[in-house]
Formats: sequence, structure tokens, C-alpha cells
Amino acid sequence: MLFSASYHGDSKPVSAGTASSLCRLVSVLAQQAVGLLLLFGMALGPRLVAQTPVLNEVKPIPLLTGSAGFIATLDSNEPHLGPIVTPVVLVPLGQRWLIETRGDFESDLTQVPGQSGFHGQFQKGVDYAQLDFIANPYITVTVGRFLTPFNIYNERLYPVWIRDLQTDPLILPIGIGPSNASNGAMLRGGFKVHPTFDINYAVYFSTLTTTEYIDSARFAGGRAGIFIPKTRLEFGGSFQHSLQDERSNSFGFHAIWEPFALPLEMRAEYGRSFQGSGYWGEAAYRLSQVPYLQKQLRHTQLVARLQQSFAGESPDTSLFPVDLKMFEFGVNYYVIDGLKATSSYGRQFRSDGNKNVWTLGLTYRFVFPLGDAWR
Amino acid sequence: MHRSLFLFSFLGASTCLAISVIAQERTPPPSTVTITSAASAANNTTDPALATHSSANPAVPPSKDAAAVESALRIEGEKRFRTNCGRCHMAPHKFPPRVMAAAIRHMRVRAALTDEDMRLILHYMTQ
Repeated sequence: MLFSASYHGDSKPVSAGTASSLCRLVSVLAQQAVGLLLLFGMALGPRLVAQTPVLNEVKPIPLLTGSAGFIATLDSNEPHLGPIVTPVVLVPLGQRWLIETRGDFESDLTQVPGQSGFHGQFQKGVDYAQLDFIANPYITVTVGRFLTPFNIYNERLYPVWIRDLQTDPLILPIGIGPSNASNGAMLRGGFKVHPTFDINYAVYFSTLTTTEYIDSARFAGGRAGIFIPKTRLEFGGSFQHSLQDERSNSFGFHAIWEPFALPLEMRAEYGRSFQGSGYWGEAAYRLSQVPYLQKQLRHTQLVARLQQSFAGESPDTSLFPVDLKMFEFGVNYYVIDGLKATSSYGRQFRSDGNKNVWTLGLTYRFVFPLGDAWR
Repeated sequence: MHRSLFLFSFLGASTCLAISVIAQERTPPPSTVTITSAASAANNTTDPALATHSSANPAVPPSKDAAAVESALRIEGEKRFRTNCGRCHMAPHKFPPRVMAAAIRHMRVRAALTDEDMRLILHYMTQ
């Protein structure tokens, strides 16, 4: 997507001696910790599931769902056309298994000097292809390729039909590895620990994969969050330790708040790594409470985002060439359920020159049952 | 320094997880809690038809009891639906039951919904 920068870590030879031993030890410890958690989940699984009566006996059906979009961008007076399709296939198996995969097919079409029309390369990739096992009400075990759970944007807000602004946050590449995904194993879940709040968590280990379309880096990490339903406030933090190259740490914080009194969504993230750091904050307000033109305005949403990123210490590894600051304002119109018209204007302030970014697009979320949905 | 930090982070996370799970084992199962709270909500209402659920009133037919619980579950399910789904995206319209059952399992993993939330939202969305 726009402004996304992928980090492809090159495997450097590790200097011999203490550093190497230390890294190996950390790696082994990480694997053992994940292994212990896996065993823990498996052991408690059947007993806890047996305690939970099934409220619904609806048998799930395989689904083809996902989103499609067409986003036109004017970036520093250079037009880009961006068709994108991200199909998701869900295959539930039995009571506790789920196979889920998402493909990503997109293109960035631009004008080539001396030629008419727009030209560009077709890009494809596998965002995730994972097997989930709901071991018990507290633990879900995931293996395969999964979206790296660092902060919330990559996992929960990335699809074009969900995001309020079609440009990626500047700090999105922090902590999510190459191509936004990890290959390995993950434990995750959400549960109520107190009548007033829930806890959600994810811990994972990813291996180094250099195969095209499914590449990933070697790291381990986790994310934990607290959700307070009464105030619709969620906040949490993420941590990741790289097990290759610089063996560096990354961390981040996120928050979401939706006040009951207003049709307002507020989201924010902060991320920091040796490659750079930054934050973004976004507010989206649905005009459903405006007493005029109710029929049109209740489908309309105003969005604003402020973000800033800071270059890393080393220019060779920095995600951002220079320090950036960006303000964006957008208007979305929800035509029908799943179909959204979107537009935005952004101004980027940078030491090597400011620029404007305009976007205009249409996004659609589709759901097709692969079988008889009513039986 | 890094080794200790990393080790303590994982040990801390594991310990928290273990304590949480053990604590949860001592509480009633989620669905029971929900039904109890839903029923108590029904009991507090001024509607005489709903206020009879847990009073064990022999004069009230069992079908009215079931209707009161059903109604309370639906209301609670709608509340959870608005609270959880709206955190990331516009709440979708209802889908056929089997479609919704697959989608909610996907969302349980993706959005870390609690088991109780998942069941109540599915119940509401398949009515």
C-alpha cells in the first residue's frame, strides 16, 4: 500500500564469541517459552472447553470473503492508479479449527514518459495462511503464516474496506517484518479477568524465510491489551526482539476509544525500533447526529490523522530517509453495507521538501458462502 | 542485559497467563455468567413478563421464562455486537446463520474476542 516500506533484513555473519552464544541462548529460550505456552494451552484445553456449554448449534460454512478497491492517488502531482483485491478464504473445521488465508493482488499504475496511459507491474502475495486451533476459551494456537501482531493497524485496520484513510501510517513497517507477516507459531486469546475489563494477548515466534511472496524475519514478541467495554476504551503495548542481524528490540503502544455519546472513533499508535520511530493519531466522526440532511449525512464520515516519524540512527537501515510530519483530512461516504467511497487530502512536511497527497477511491467488502448458507 | 529482559518478559507473560487461567477456572463458565446476568437484568425490569425469570414463580408458564431469557440474551448480544465490532469497522448487516458462524470464528481469532462475546454476538446475529 501507499507509503509502506518493507524491511528486508540481510543476514550478516555474526561475530564469534560471547555475542553469538548470547543470541543463540536467547533464541533457544524464546523457543522454549513458546513451547511451554503451547503445552500449557493444550493441557488445559479439553477441561476448560468442557465447562463451556454451547449456546448456538449453528454449523459454520466455508466462506470466500475479502475486499476490493480502486484508489487513485495524486502524490506530488504524480498520478497513481491502484486497483487492489484481497480475497480471504475461511474454512472452519469441526468445533474448534479454522483455516484462514488472505491473498493480496494489487498494482501501482503510473504514467511512463513517452507512452500513453498508465503502466505498472502486477504484485501478488500471501498475507496470511494459518491454521487456528481454539484450544479453550483463553488460548487459540495458530501455526503457519500470520500477520505480525505488533500494534493494531497491521492486524485489524489494514484492509481497504476497514481503514478510514487509504494511506498507510508512516510507522506501519515498524515491528511487522518483511511483507507484514511472520512464519511460525503464535498463541493468542481474549478473556475477561474482571467484570469491568477484558485482556487480549498474542505471543509469537517467527522464522527466517527468504522465499518470494512468503518471506519473513526471525523474531519473537508479544502484544497485550486491556479492553474496558463500559467505556469502549482499549489500550495496550507490543514488544518484539529480533533474532537476526542487529538483534534489536522494538516496542509500541496503541489505544482505541469510542465514546458512547458520540459517533466518534479515536485511534493512536506509537512505535519505536532502531530503524526509526513515530506515532499517529486518528479521529473519525460520523455525521449521524447532525440535525440537517439526515438521509445523506448519516452515511458521511469525516476523518483526520496527524502523524510523525523520525529516522533511525543509521541511514542504511532507517525506514524513513528523513524526519516526516504529515496531516491528513478525509471524507468517506458509506453507500451501502460494505461499499464505501473515500477521499482524502494530506500534506507532508519534510526537511527535503513538502508535498501534497490526494486520494480518491471506492472500496467494497464481499462475502460469498461456499455452500448452502441456510441449511 | 538483553537476555535477562527477554527471559523475564516471557516468564512474566507466562506467569500472568497461568494466573489468569487458574483464576478463571474458579469462576462460573462464561455462558452461565451471561445467562445469570441476562436473567437478573430481566428480573430488574418493570415488565412483569420479564421480571419473573429467576423468581421461580410457579404461576408463570415455562415458555414465558424462556422468552424472557431469550430476550435478555438478544439485548446483551446486541450490546456486545455494538461494543466489539465497532472498535475496528462499521458493524455489518446480518448474514445467514452459517455465514455468521464462520465469520465470528474468524473475528474471534483476529480481534481476540472473548468466548462469551463470541457466543452472545453469534446468538444475536443469528436470530
